[in-house]
Amino acid sequence: MITFRLLEAAAAFLIAGALGALITARRGRRGAWVSVVAVSGAAILMVASAVRAFRGGGDPEVSALPIRALGAALRIHVDPLSAVFLCLAGPIALLTTLYSVEYMGRFVRDGLTKYYPVLLILFLAIGGTVVTTDLFWFLVFWELMTLTSFVLVIFERESREAHRAGLKYFVWNQGAALGLMGAALVLWRRAGSFDFEAIRVSLATLLDTAPVTGHAVLFLFFFGFATKAGILPMGTWLPDAYTAAPTSVTAAFGGTMTKLGIYGLLRVFLHLLPLGPATTIWGIVIAVAGLTSLFAGTLSALKQDDAKRLMSYHVIGQVGYMFFGVGAGIALMQTDPLLGTLGLVAGLFHLINNSLYKPCLFLGAGAVEYRTGSRSLSALGGGLGGVMAGTMACSLVASLAIAGVPPLNGFTSKWLLYATGILGAESSFLLPVAALVAMFISIVTLASFVKYVAGAFLGAPVVTPAGAPPIRDVPATMLAPQYVLAGACLVVGLAPFAVLRLVHQAIVGLPSMIGAPDFASLLGGSNTTLALARDGITLASWAPVPLTAVLLILGIAAYVGLQRAGGVVTRRVPVWACGEEENPAELRYRADSLYRPFKDVFHGMYPRMPVVRFEFPDFLRRTLDLDHWLYQPLARGTQGAVRGVSRTHVGIPQVYLLWIIIGAVAVILTVLLVTGGAP
Amino acid sequence: MLTVILCLVLLLPVAGAVMAGHARAEESRGIAVRAALAAALLAIWAAWSAFPLGYDVRLGGLPWLGREAGAGLFGLLLDPLATILLLVVTIIGFLTVLYSHGYLTEHNQEHHGTPEDQGRYYFWLLAFMASMVGVATAPNFLQLFLFWELTAVCSWSLISFYRSATSLRVGFKAILMTHAGGLFFIAALLVMFAQTGSFDFDAPSRMNENLRGWVYGFLLVAAWAKAAQVPLHTWLPDAMEAPTPISAYLHAAAMVKAGVFLMARAVSSGWAVPHGVGLLMAVMAFVTMLVALSFYFLQDDLKRLLAYSTIAHLGYVLLGVAIGAMGSPVGLQGGVLHIICHAFGKATLFLCVGAVAWITGSRSISRLRGVARVMPITAAAYFIGVVTVTGIPPFAGFWSKFMILAGAIRLPSPMGPVIVTLVLVESLVAFGWMLRVGQVVFLGPWTPTGVERQPILLPRSMKAALWVLMLGCLIAPVIGIPLVHRIAP
Repeated sequence: MITFRLLEAAAAFLIAGALGALITARRGRRGAWVSVVAVSGAAILMVASAVRAFRGGGDPEVSALPIRALGAALRIHVDPLSAVFLCLAGPIALLTTLYSVEYMGRFVRDGLTKYYPVLLILFLAIGGTVVTTDLFWFLVFWELMTLTSFVLVIFERESREAHRAGLKYFVWNQGAALGLMGAALVLWRRAGSFDFEAIRVSLATLLDTAPVTGHAVLFLFFFGFATKAGILPMGTWLPDAYTAAPTSVTAAFGGTMTKLGIYGLLRVFLHLLPLGPATTIWGIVIAVAGLTSLFAGTLSALKQDDAKRLMSYHVIGQVGYMFFGVGAGIALMQTDPLLGTLGLVAGLFHLINNSLYKPCLFLGAGAVEYRTGSRSLSALGGGLGGVMAGTMACSLVASLAIAGVPPLNGFTSKWLLYATGILGAESSFLLPVAALVAMFISIVTLASFVKYVAGAFLGAPVVTPAGAPPIRDVPATMLAPQYVLAGACLVVGLAPFAVLRLVHQAIVGLPSMIGAPDFASLLGGSNTTLALARDGITLASWAPVPLTAVLLILGIAAYVGLQRAGGVVTRRVPVWACGEEENPAELRYRADSLYRPFKDVFHGMYPRMPVVRFEFPDFLRRTLDLDHWLYQPLARGTQGAVRGVSRTHVGIPQVYLLWIIIGAVAVILTVLLVTGGAP
Repeated sequence: MLTVILCLVLLLPVAGAVMAGHARAEESRGIAVRAALAAALLAIWAAWSAFPLGYDVRLGGLPWLGREAGAGLFGLLLDPLATILLLVVTIIGFLTVLYSHGYLTEHNQEHHGTPEDQGRYYFWLLAFMASMVGVATAPNFLQLFLFWELTAVCSWSLISFYRSATSLRVGFKAILMTHAGGLFFIAALLVMFAQTGSFDFDAPSRMNENLRGWVYGFLLVAAWAKAAQVPLHTWLPDAMEAPTPISAYLHAAAMVKAGVFLMARAVSSGWAVPHGVGLLMAVMAFVTMLVALSFYFLQDDLKRLLAYSTIAHLGYVLLGVAIGAMGSPVGLQGGVLHIICHAFGKATLFLCVGAVAWITGSRSISRLRGVARVMPITAAAYFIGVVTVTGIPPFAGFWSKFMILAGAIRLPSPMGPVIVTLVLVESLVAFGWMLRVGQVVFLGPWTPTGVERQPILLPRSMKAALWVLMLGCLIAPVIGIPLVHRIAP
């Protein structure tokens, strides 16, 4: 009950904040600060309820707002998995709202009435999605999330690209959501209720009695969640929509909303679906989908010039990693619980890490856009590092984290993913291959973020045009969120143990995780070293702090030993252009010049779906137009007939007498005919 | 007490109509708004106090019909189903009158109204409201029929309100087609009375299987004509010649709902509709939805687009009712809920289009661009209307559509999934198209049409009506769900 009250209060904060922001939207920044206050209240309450869930398994389920005819009610229960997502959603919501305060000043032609209230309702929907244990309300929150995020994508009223992107986003996701609705209805038919427990029973019987329908239902679930997560090819909406939305919103999407696709997968395939042959099949499907996405998504990122677009393709790639880990885990769970759990923990841990560095990257790109007005890496031409040092430092940390450079957080989760793949060789030779692909893609990630950091920050300092104010770093409210996220990347990288324990708790708390190993036997009980062991033999280990210390010492030693002792002198001179006099700007190595061979080879890597132009067949239109061939001819016919009758009115008595006689004869003849002449 | 209130709900609009018809132009507006407001408030009060009990009172009769039907033939009935329609017609009726207050002025860039017309306008509008109240509270088929035909007369007069050649022609077309349906209603009444000696709502269920099928079939044809269902749908898009508030009220929220209300009434009293009739109703509802959908893509006039959308959504209601008739009461509950949810959503949409035309003088999708720049509230209302009728939670349409689908999935095997799939496909396509049209018309850079008065300001009454309707789009299910729960066998 306390959890329920906490969440109720969080919802009240958000709704009140939305109303407050709606009223104060026209008064400068007041609406923004109202929203920040509301979101911080909600974030604290969300984290508090999550902490309760981690501590003692949470409070029992509470239900409200019943709809009797449907057997649906707003059932609220926070289990450790929900708690993980609450812990992410609350703080990231707060950071992105805080960032918006200054950032949204960029948009002078659009009012903020359609920003803060909608953003707060989006956070409400995200929170609602992860805490309800009723499939109906899950759908309600899910679609509310789509609706509010659509409004945010089309925020720029006069940008046609934003509208196109928004429409594409909404139609794809609405289609997927309708699929979810269909699946939910099929399960409800047997269960008579939308409660997760009843649905679990219903899904098990459905798979036994009507396997085709059962798998169709699972397909609809998979399709719905994969679309939201941006998995190929349904994710075609993602780069467009992420690029079109204001960057603060993009960060919120990347940090929370897209991740709910993974939440949905875990809920359905490990909560609603009992362990069995179906889990193995669908685990493989999920893993393969993830692998394709991480490959195609990340390679497509390499050739992007727009910083946000580049990162959007990485969203697809990164979600691919999570799908791969989660899918492999689900598939292996029945045969090899140790490895299965490892894959799931790796996938979920990667999700947490991604929610830290991905928003940080987006916020950095937004900061650059805020100061320079541009997102094109070629146009930027580098050199911002000197004037936007804070932003650069955060972006660098996040870039290294996403590329999986130790000791940052991205490395640890990727290490676990690779371990799952390599150790899975016993089950299938494909798993190590997949791990190799993932490693290769990790290098591609590094390459593309080298491009980003170099293209935006490194190189000679930018020269601002005469008269324009010099470029400075962004205001504190925009920097602070970046510092927090980058700091979190570092901390989680160095001390992943506590977070991994919570992730493990979240995973093994799911009903289908039968036979899952405890944390000590999975990753070792130590608080300094992660040790992967099987049958008592340690197969691999990673000790972040000692190893980092060693690397750091070696690095310093190398610097001191080589640079200083060797007496190297750094000279700052203009680039030598073989004696030709060239404009220094033209001699820059621009971002779009990087990775040419890759671009040529992987051109069109990412499938693009053409919009089919639909011509309505003319004959069909004529057939359907009943007026044309039925009613108008009928009316004309009637009119003609009536006119014919009216012609008999001539006004001459003799003619009328004739009519009377003809009529009388006709009547007599009829009577004779009917009676047959009998009297 | 309740009898008095209900009689007042019925008579206040009549009194208002007579007074507004005789008053001078500027007075008639005020009279109409007050009468409609009073009726709406009393209706809400009546609904509130009758909610736990249900309410039925019989007053007089026609002596020549004999003992069975003679005494207590007429009267008032306020059960959950009647409450739904009563609330729709009075609340949205009031909002329409309020909106008309600002709409029918010389500042209207689409039709420059003349003050002398106002009395006539409000007379017919309030008379219409009264006859809809009569339809909603009728205790038997006979009384329902009387008010049913009255609505047709009012509708005819209002469609032809501008008295141009086109509007006279389409008004005639409308009354011809709906009245043709009315003849089937009479046939049903006669068969019913001849067989059972009663006009009660459950009278058909007391008849033998064969005749019962015919009676329900006749009622169905009458409902098709009134609710503009294929093949009797062609009058509705043409009726868009009427002033926009009239289109919103008569042809989206109220009159067409009489048709589906009749079927909901017939099915839910006795639950004895033969399976064949139920199936026919469902199939034709589908045909209607798809035919209407196919016309979406050809429309350039926003109002005609909305008219086709209305046709499709009445198809949804009838589909729900048909699902109820085939043995799945949740479907009927969803259908009835859709009456109120769709009424709020579609009235919002129509009044938005009215506001746009009021300012810009145009309703053409290909001409209007970036209207949100000058009319932000109207634009917001349009998008809320779209998500309401296409069913995106938390807005109203979602709840009713979901209940219809839940009813459908309970039907025996192949039918349920087929219906669900078709409905989902239809709603996705319709949703995509309406959203696209909204983006084209409202978003993007603002392109004036050239006839706007400066500064561009909507009258306060029109804005107020839009605000209340937007709120209604959100809370309609809160009102509707407890009511429809009580409609069950």
